[in-house]
Amino acid sequence: MTLTASIPEQWSTRLETLEFRHGVGYEVECRPDALRELCNWIADTLGYAFAGLIVEQAAHEWELRYLFHATELPGWVHVIVRAGRAYGRLPSISDLIHAADWPEREAEDLFGLIFEGHPRLGDFVLHDDVWQEGVAPMRKEFDALARAIARAPNTNWRPDRIVHAPGAFGMPVGPVYSGAAESAHFLLETVGEDVIRALPRFFYKYRAVEKIAEGRRAEDALLLAERINGLTAFAHGLACAQALEAIGGLEPPPRGATLRVFLAELERLRHHVGAIQEICESTALAVAAAEAGVLEEELLRLSGALTGHRYLFGLSACGGLARDLPDAELAATVVRARAILERLESLEHRLVRTSSFLDRLEEVGLVTEEEARAFSLVGPIARASGLVRDLRKAQPYCGYAAFRFDVPMEAEGDGYARLRVLFAEARQSLSLMTQALDRLPEGPVRVPEAQERSTAMPQKAGAALGWTEAPLGAALHWVRIDERGMIVRYRIIPPSFVNWHAFYLAAEAFAFQDFPIILATFGLSVSENDR
Amino acid sequence: MIEAIAILVFFALCALGALSALVMPQRRNPALLAIAGALAGAALCVAGSHALISHHPFSLALWTLPVNGTLRLGLDPLSGLFLLITGVVYLLTSIFSAGYLERYREHYSLRAFAVLYFGLFASIAAVLLARDILSFLFAWELMSITSYLLVNFEFEREESIRAGYLMLAMGEAGTLAAAVALLLLANAAGSTDFHAIGAALGHAGVVSSGARWTVFLLSFFGFGVKAGLIPFNSWLPRAHPAAPANISAILSGVILNLGIYGIVRVNLDLLPVSFTGPGLVALIFGAVTAFVGILYATTENDAKTMLAHSSIENMGIIVTGLGAGLVFLAAGRPALAGIAFVAALYHLINHSVYKALLFLSAGTVDARAGTRDLDRLGGLIRTMPWTALFFLVGALSIAAMYPFSGFASEWLTLQALLRSAELDSSAVRLVFAFAGVTLALTAALAVTCFVKAFAMGFLGHARSNRAEAATEAPVSMLAPMGALAALCFILGVIPTVVIPQLSGTLEALGDGRATEALVPAFFATSPDHAQLPKDFVAEFHDLGAQAGSSFIGGRGLVVLHRGGAQNPVVFAMSTSYGAVVLIILLAVVLGAVRFGTRKRRTLREVRWDGGVRQLFPEMTYTATGFSNPVRVVFDAILRPRTVEDSEETVAQHFRVAIRRSREPVHPIDELVLGGLSSQLIRIARLLARMHHGKLNAYVAYVLGTLIVFLALAAAMWK
Amino acid sequence: MSQWVLSGLKAGIKTSRYPRHREDAPGVTPGLPRARALGSPLSEEDLRLIDRCPTGALMRQGERIGVDPRRCVHCFRCAVEGLNAMPWEPSYEWAAATGSGSGSLGHPFSRSVNIRVVDAGDCGACLHEVKQLANPYYNLHRLGFFFTPTPRQADILVVVGPGADQMRSALEKTLAAMPTPRVVIAVGTCALSGGVFGPSFTCSDGVGSIVPVDIEVPGNPPPPLAILHALLLATGRARSAAWRPGSNGLAEEPLAGDAERNP
Repeated sequence: MTLTASIPEQWSTRLETLEFRHGVGYEVECRPDALRELCNWIADTLGYAFAGLIVEQAAHEWELRYLFHATELPGWVHVIVRAGRAYGRLPSISDLIHAADWPEREAEDLFGLIFEGHPRLGDFVLHDDVWQEGVAPMRKEFDALARAIARAPNTNWRPDRIVHAPGAFGMPVGPVYSGAAESAHFLLETVGEDVIRALPRFFYKYRAVEKIAEGRRAEDALLLAERINGLTAFAHGLACAQALEAIGGLEPPPRGATLRVFLAELERLRHHVGAIQEICESTALAVAAAEAGVLEEELLRLSGALTGHRYLFGLSACGGLARDLPDAELAATVVRARAILERLESLEHRLVRTSSFLDRLEEVGLVTEEEARAFSLVGPIARASGLVRDLRKAQPYCGYAAFRFDVPMEAEGDGYARLRVLFAEARQSLSLMTQALDRLPEGPVRVPEAQERSTAMPQKAGAALGWTEAPLGAALHWVRIDERGMIVRYRIIPPSFVNWHAFYLAAEAFAFQDFPIILATFGLSVSENDR
Repeated sequence: MIEAIAILVFFALCALGALSALVMPQRRNPALLAIAGALAGAALCVAGSHALISHHPFSLALWTLPVNGTLRLGLDPLSGLFLLITGVVYLLTSIFSAGYLERYREHYSLRAFAVLYFGLFASIAAVLLARDILSFLFAWELMSITSYLLVNFEFEREESIRAGYLMLAMGEAGTLAAAVALLLLANAAGSTDFHAIGAALGHAGVVSSGARWTVFLLSFFGFGVKAGLIPFNSWLPRAHPAAPANISAILSGVILNLGIYGIVRVNLDLLPVSFTGPGLVALIFGAVTAFVGILYATTENDAKTMLAHSSIENMGIIVTGLGAGLVFLAAGRPALAGIAFVAALYHLINHSVYKALLFLSAGTVDARAGTRDLDRLGGLIRTMPWTALFFLVGALSIAAMYPFSGFASEWLTLQALLRSAELDSSAVRLVFAFAGVTLALTAALAVTCFVKAFAMGFLGHARSNRAEAATEAPVSMLAPMGALAALCFILGVIPTVVIPQLSGTLEALGDGRATEALVPAFFATSPDHAQLPKDFVAEFHDLGAQAGSSFIGGRGLVVLHRGGAQNPVVFAMSTSYGAVVLIILLAVVLGAVRFGTRKRRTLREVRWDGGVRQLFPEMTYTATGFSNPVRVVFDAILRPRTVEDSEETVAQHFRVAIRRSREPVHPIDELVLGGLSSQLIRIARLLARMHHGKLNAYVAYVLGTLIVFLALAAAMWK
Repeated sequence: MSQWVLSGLKAGIKTSRYPRHREDAPGVTPGLPRARALGSPLSEEDLRLIDRCPTGALMRQGERIGVDPRRCVHCFRCAVEGLNAMPWEPSYEWAAATGSGSGSLGHPFSRSVNIRVVDAGDCGACLHEVKQLANPYYNLHRLGFFFTPTPRQADILVVVGPGADQMRSALEKTLAAMPTPRVVIAVGTCALSGGVFGPSFTCSDGVGSIVPVDIEVPGNPPPPLAILHALLLATGRARSAAWRPGSNGLAEEPLAGDAERNP
């Protein structure tokens, strides 16, 4: 049932507008009192997935954009609701759609909006023991470069405690912990044997990417996009580039699009080998960790030799690719990658026959399908819990519709299922790279508007959504630029932000030694989450 | 003579203390109690020590009752030992009370406290001085009642009332059993006088085997209630914490000993055991008591309840030693029996000292930090360093750490158990093995328990505001604890002086050659030196066994048991030399480190906490967490009831609270108390049907009873 | 389990022979731009080239275009755009001592040191390169370097990331918890100059404003060999690179190399 057919029947009297815009999707505007019902209907009845929330500050009002996308057919729905600047209150939808919990908390902290009915606002992005309430740095009035801001931290701040039991306490892990790990804090609540609940606290690495992007040139947004998560730099850069292209009405040439697929899958292969290495390392299976480390380093060197940068920085461009890559080198890369994959499969073969390794992964860190659906999880984690959401299939971009590949799925939702998904996706990535090489046409890699620069600059004002299926899941970039090509609003919804939300479900009632393993099987990025 | 005077002075001081307490104003009472109690305790110490050293039993006839015989008071070395312990504990606790009783001045009557205090003191002394059954039972009842009233002192607290009542009820049941045992003895011997009974029943064959078993079981379990043996010790973990801390110290340090005194008096003095059965029963029950006691202590977070359970454990160890001694005695090995009895009595002394110390420290902490819950204490070593030090000494002693007192006595007990290898019957050896293994497990759990107690109570972060605001106790409370701590150290470091004294108490009871069995006369200055074989002495002379002979007199400083030609030294230790070496080593190492790093700068920084902005107390380990592995391992015995609950708000995934509570179930309590009480209630319900209020029926009851008695009288007359 | 022993042995030795020999394998380093002389007469393209750098890493120094490696974010615009591209230097020994503080640990630490890594907001690439040092290709254990989770036993503090504000106290505490002698290595362009992020209300212009930095390693991210070079420099087993870091941005000397030989 298409959206235009179903909506007028039931909602025509309560909607302000409904239109379809190219590069955006359906925009449905409603009033705040109809918001909850409408969102619930889209999520429940139509079965669309909630993808994120974008808050923009217009001249006299707040514009909130709730993103939904269909899981079977292409199509985005933006539910737009406006609130007056002075008022800033909206109903919370997180009791109906739990995946909206974190986006609402983030909007409250960064913009100062109130979501009525949300039970836990505050102390999310800006830590209450560092910042006072009401800072709202994402408001336009706030100067990003202001260095001397008066701080009045809450001296009575105490960590959230969930477990009430005699003698219960919380073991603090982080933000500086382990040998070399990203900074995040976990409070493991326990009465001394099993950890009953793990409460994460993020945003220690908050760099305010969305804020500092405002006022910069559009092409510099690409630099920021790549450096949100350096391990999936190309995927984020690609999403940003596609958003800019949608604004400027630019279409990359075929060679550029095919090379984009090639590089995206090369990055996915390398990322997944890295994730496998982390899992082997967390279970202390030293030989397997070393072998996986060898494979990852070889893929990094392969990427570096092919493109000049081990993590594929500097290749994303609006209108195509920043530079061309010679066919011979691409072919040699595929040959070497295939050899690497063979060794990876041999590693997999041995791993699944090592019972001590499997013992530590099976039934550890369970996320059920129902929970995955409620939290709208994305990426390999969702697929390991039986929820297949892959933007390459559901909302194809970059010509993925023409490629033949499977999206692996497992149903158990434990660490072993996630590992199997990683191996299967690595195989699929190599297959995609081979297909991309086979159908690689001649021609330029970027649009003529780019001229002699590595990237084109869209010259008109507008806003659009760009998306990719990054190695960790769906990455969404919303860019709004003005007529000079300067960024007005840059909103990033990374897959780790969505998935970290559900981490505590997996980290419940486990032995303390399993904690690094659960972290490793999730394999999420904190820098992407914190931005 | 001296003993008589000292005892007279003692009773006079008690009476004076009680009477003047009634007259004095409330606020002067603590000081008065301290002075009078200290003096009375000193007098008792004099009496007890003199009796111990001089080995001169003395007896004083009080007055003669027509039917029941003469009431006698008297002292023999065994009573002297217990009197000495009582005196020491009372002396120091009284000084402690001066500062401690301040907290009760507003709410409760200190006059009543003082009267009961001195009453308890006098009745305990009377129990120990009694030389015939009537005065014994009379004094015993007085002691039970006054201790019940003292446990009930904070009568506004529900906990105290219930605890006191349970203690009284179970205590009376035990007293009843013990009284029956004593009366059986009196019946068999034809007299109520202890000396007469001992003389009459001392020969074998006078009392039948069945009667012996009856007497043993009744006295063992009857006095065992007072001593806190399973299965009748449910009152202990409730009564000791409910009482004020100074009374808890007395309960644990003095009154529990009375139970042991009763068992020893009946089964070693009045009717010495002549076959191995009773000893084995004592072994098994002692070992199981010790294990169960320490298990509950390790998983308990309330400081005083934990100490109460630990008292149960120590009583178990003492009874195990006694049981071993009884078996050795019945098997005809008096030297080994002597070793076992010496070990048991040594442990008794040590337990009184360090348990009193621990209870006083726990009371101090309770008074200054406002709570006894280990989960809410912490960090007290900074604000209460002296209390922490004394508690540490007590904890090291009770955990049997070298070279403190607990080590010497527990080591000796285990060695005595190992001597079962010299017995013939393998069944007996098996029981000894079981007891030994259980005691070893108990010792390990004791270390865990007291590491937890000290670490969670004194180290780390303060876990509550009151704990953070605690201040050090006044000198009047610290000095007695310091004295007890010093005693813990001294009793551990000079076992060779203590053992001959203990051995002396047993001479009157049996063959007391424990001194020779344990403390060979290495010092050339000792009169028995010539009796040791020359080459043996020479060997140890080279090892330095003469060291210290100029400081401390006596036979030597090594506790050593000799075997045959094959095995000249069966076991040996010297805490005296060890302590000296330890101190020298510590001093040398400390000095070397200080000297070696004298040029270095020391940076003091905050503890590493992973970079969190502030480490809150709720992020540090709690006592529950620390003892959880023990709880998990012994889950089958503890069988806790887990209640887990979770609350939601708004919608399914916004969880706000997870509640979980765990209550340990005492299976023995449920079986024994629960079973007994339900049966009794059933019987009472049946009997209650008689009370229906009809006057005519009551008259009929009276008539019926009269007829029955007339018939009985008529039958008996014939 | 034996399958792992056999497969491990069969995999052979992959370890690089750096620092004894140069590591030449392709893909080990992204390289850095090298200073070059300005064309004569001065060309518009050269001046536009200097403007194209988004972080100001290229600057005019008299007759040369100098490169401040502390600011280069590897966007490659100066290398690929249709201008007179900057020459590229495929090196990796980029670590330089700042001269403040000790810079080196001293002889007892030359063969065995412990490292504490703190992530002060990095994108993940720098941290990942640091972690790659433990893979068999680089194997920092053979050189006596070990990661430790406790700063109490650490001798070297490696900081990555631009110095996010909410990590400030954690970073300060980590340094305070380390006993002396200690060396602080700032790894990555973000840690040296803030990269594309700083300065802002929540990021500083480099971690140098939070902790005193002894050794700086530029790169975005610096390859594992560059980080290894920095570690060897900290233990006195390597020489500092020729550029000298200034405290406030500009390098006092451009990146050395064949700059003189290139017209």
